[in-house]
Amino acid sequence: MITLRDLTFSYLKPDGTPVTETPQLNRVNLEVAEGEFVLVCGPTGSGKSTLLKTLNGLAPRFTGGLLSGEVILDGKDLTGKEPHDFAHLVGFVNQQPEGFFVTDTVIDEIVYGAEQLGMPVAEIDDRIKPIIEILNIGDLLYRPLATLSGGQQQRVAIAAALVAGQKILLLDEPTSALDFAGATEVLSSLKKLAHESGVTILLAEHRISRVIAEVDSVLVVHGDGSVTKGDPATQFNDARFAPPIIQLGAMLGWKPLSISTEDAAARWAKQSPDFQEKKLHEPGKKILEIDSLKVTFGNVAAVSATNLDLYANQVTAIMGENGSGKTSLCWAIQGLGERSAGTVLLDGQDTAELARDARLDLVAMIPQRAADLLFLHSLADELKESDTFAQVEPGTTANLFAQLAGRIDTSIHPRDLSAGQQLALVLAIQLAKQAKVLILDEPTRGLDYAAKRALAKQLQLLRSPERTIVLASHDVEFVAEVADRVIKLQAGQIVADQSPIEALGWKSQLPSQLAQISRADGLVSIEQVLA
Amino acid sequence: MKNSFLSVSKTHPATWWLLGLALAITASLSATPLVLFAIGAVSMLLVLAFRDESAWSRSVSFYLKLAAAVVAIRVLFRIIFNLESSPANPLLVLPEINLTLAEGVSLKLFGSISALSFQSALTDGLRLAAIILAVGMANSLANPMKLLKSTPGALYEIATAISIAINLAPQLIASLNRVRRVRGLRGQSKGIRALPGLVIPVLEDTIDQSMSLAASMSARGFGRKGQRSKMALKITRFTGLAAITMIAVGVFLLLITPTTQVLDLSIAIAGLAFAVVYIKMSALGSLRTKYRKQAFQSGDYCLFVLTAALLVSAFTGVLQF
Repeated sequence: MITLRDLTFSYLKPDGTPVTETPQLNRVNLEVAEGEFVLVCGPTGSGKSTLLKTLNGLAPRFTGGLLSGEVILDGKDLTGKEPHDFAHLVGFVNQQPEGFFVTDTVIDEIVYGAEQLGMPVAEIDDRIKPIIEILNIGDLLYRPLATLSGGQQQRVAIAAALVAGQKILLLDEPTSALDFAGATEVLSSLKKLAHESGVTILLAEHRISRVIAEVDSVLVVHGDGSVTKGDPATQFNDARFAPPIIQLGAMLGWKPLSISTEDAAARWAKQSPDFQEKKLHEPGKKILEIDSLKVTFGNVAAVSATNLDLYANQVTAIMGENGSGKTSLCWAIQGLGERSAGTVLLDGQDTAELARDARLDLVAMIPQRAADLLFLHSLADELKESDTFAQVEPGTTANLFAQLAGRIDTSIHPRDLSAGQQLALVLAIQLAKQAKVLILDEPTRGLDYAAKRALAKQLQLLRSPERTIVLASHDVEFVAEVADRVIKLQAGQIVADQSPIEALGWKSQLPSQLAQISRADGLVSIEQVLA
Repeated sequence: MKNSFLSVSKTHPATWWLLGLALAITASLSATPLVLFAIGAVSMLLVLAFRDESAWSRSVSFYLKLAAAVVAIRVLFRIIFNLESSPANPLLVLPEINLTLAEGVSLKLFGSISALSFQSALTDGLRLAAIILAVGMANSLANPMKLLKSTPGALYEIATAISIAINLAPQLIASLNRVRRVRGLRGQSKGIRALPGLVIPVLEDTIDQSMSLAASMSARGFGRKGQRSKMALKITRFTGLAAITMIAVGVFLLLITPTTQVLDLSIAIAGLAFAVVYIKMSALGSLRTKYRKQAFQSGDYCLFVLTAALLVSAFTGVLQF
């Protein structure tokens, strides 16, 4: 169905020379069979997105850059054609469904592509029925798109991409903006599509663990221009993007590697490897005292009557689905956010009543889109501005940043840093004044496994007897690795306050992947395993 | 009201726009406060009676506030920039302020104002308010996105651009609010201007969103052309150009000459004819089909009669009592 011959793609600088010495994709040769379900992985920035976009003309048309080689789809050479010339053959689904919608109701959005291709109305009617059924969106047809949940929106986007009878479906990290429930909806729809409809699917995805057992093959974009494709068990020799299950297999010397949880669990049971107790940090002194805190928007209680003490030396994870009140709670603790009642005391003073500069000194918060806090034109300027504003010794922020992210050429534009480096920069800026409270709202969004591991190390470095760290997240594996205490939120209420061993253990509602594999009491995170 | 034959989902969006424009024209021709007030009230009642759940129908309070502000400003300006000199029966007596702007040029502010002058300011304000509410009614009831589906093929690209621009505004405001809120998390030293911190992320957002929308449309076949010869394409373009030129020249001549000349009128009419041919010809070359195409139904015809009656009465002066 898909044949790439010597495909080479480079991004170009304004003067027409390539940005990097080796092209983003270098002489790629690739075959994908009809009906094959392919998982595309690779480290952040390696070119997964670019590869997908060369398959429907968006690269180079919308990305810029230079393409050579041949793109042959369904027997036709489409190299160099416009994206709309691919439209009848290739459907494309993006990370953020809402930014990609052209119309405003579900039915109009689904038929948009078929209308543009001039499909007769009677044929559209015939086509939409099976697609609606597979994606289970029959009840949503006449709803405005804006009122749907993220998972529902993404399923509509998939239906819209396939309604004109497209034979190839490309998905560029379709679940990265979704919570656990939404991602599960989308991934199970994809499984059904792959097995029932014969569509060839290329899925670029960070949440590898949950689809890896379903795919026919894995395609790895290595980041040095090369691309390899093969059986899932053979493709993960690069730890930068290996999910915990693959990492575990590598540690225990499993050959071939296990890719499904069931398979790994059987092997674990046979081998019963040793593991150490999880190192949890004892609570230090009490830093924050939250008393009957409430946040209401209109009639909706985002956070209802919360009492919570947070201690130094600990990382406290706040977990819950989208809309459970995590973000509202973070902002209310920081002091700038809405509050309808209650107090958050830091050294006897309410964070909401602190003067602006004092609050910035004491409470550091990293919002969901950390890059929103960056606004200067070079890394050097950002570091200098941070020192000036915090009135600290010149170089303080730079030193902290170097500790967190290593040495990086400071003439680079902050927007050109990787997502993980941007996060480290914002952490360094926000902590230049040694804040006592650090709040992170969904910090792992869009990070690959390597960047998540780096962030986990950074949080260990930032842990101190003078500081409490609060982490809002629905990333089970990350929380299992870094948290000392897990608070579960449901519809604005605290439903559990446990150690990660209880909260994410194999008997809990939300077991980590390692807990599912090992079914061992006290084991939740991979660094506990001794090999 | 939801299932009656007049429900918004069953009426054509163009019907509401025609009614809204007719109400606006009637308002602009009327000088009676009562009639103007009635037009505004009817517009708002229509919205309240027929609105559905979509985001567009939630803008009623915005139009009401805008209309009220327009009336208030109009009256206030009349009181401040009062051109009357000592009327016989003043309604309001205020001290006069005389400013000398330059040698021999002076400006009088405040001073006594008569009931008549006050009423004329109120009428002017009400007229603008009624026009705003009439157009607001159409905009609330007929989603511009739905109207897009009914535009002729030749205008489709332009209509798409307009509807994207309309939709970009709320997105821009949303990302501005987000960035403003987030900026409170990081301070700024004195030497740094606050504007780039706000503008750069918002612009980046907006550009990203526009690009991803354009990419999405293109990836789904927007811009795909049917099979047409180069000659046909050239003729179509020539017709379009001719139509625009003739309409422009015709209207210009009509406006500068005091009496209507046969020649001016015929140029304009010929231009319109060319435009119709252009629209038909462009439609021939497009592939696009329309799913859920809306046809005019009984409810639409009822509203057409109402619209026509309104326009006739407005032009014949029935509403000028």
